[in-house]
Amino acid sequence: MIMELEEALGILAAFEREKVEYVLVGSMGMAVLGVIRATRDIDLFVAPDEANVVRLRRALASVFDDPSIDEITSTDLAGDYPAIQYAPPTGDFSIDLLARLGERFRFDQIEWQEVTLDGICVRVATPRMLYRMKRDTVRPQDKIDASVLRERFHLEDE
Amino acid sequence: MPIRKFRSVEEMTPLPDRRPFDPENLRIAIVWSRAMLALRPVKQTPGVHKFRSYEEMKARDEQHGTTPTTSTGNR
Repeated sequence: MIMELEEALGILAAFEREKVEYVLVGSMGMAVLGVIRATRDIDLFVAPDEANVVRLRRALASVFDDPSIDEITSTDLAGDYPAIQYAPPTGDFSIDLLARLGERFRFDQIEWQEVTLDGICVRVATPRMLYRMKRDTVRPQDKIDASVLRERFHLEDE
Repeated sequence: MPIRKFRSVEEMTPLPDRRPFDPENLRIAIVWSRAMLALRPVKQTPGVHKFRSYEEMKARDEQHGTTPTTSTGNR
């Protein structure tokens, strides 16, 4: 089964319901901002503290009946594994969780804004934040995304 | 949106920018993503996978063909 809009919104609604500290980044974050491309993942920056990761697991478990969700831990996210990919058993997409990006970005440094999509409050990174995150990675796709964001939102290099 | 036809890629003009925060944006992104997956099906390995960095995670995606290699953005 391929991700449906309702499924993506269901994940974001669960995060809101469980009060997960998160920010939507990556290509889905770009899509919310009006810069659209195809993707196979939902990238979420998350606070790696224990209480938030408990809420995160509860939110995911409310959407997916999958015991492997328990393998997502604060110890990993805050420690040696700041990038965790969760692929649901039913889907051809993944939920990519980030607690930090290199040495430059941690959760508490992510600029975000709250928007309402179909009645769901969604925290999405600002255009400037997405640009800075994508500009500084080595991935060619991110360089393309950064270029599009810079042009679209008239961003300047700092 | 009507169908537009071009004789070459060079003739193609960018689509107009989408308005930020329009709920339709996410719907379009998912429709495009579904189309991409239909053209190039890839099965994600279910479960939790842990990486030491974002780059390591995305490199694995690219190895497994789960990341688009070209932008299909509207600009």
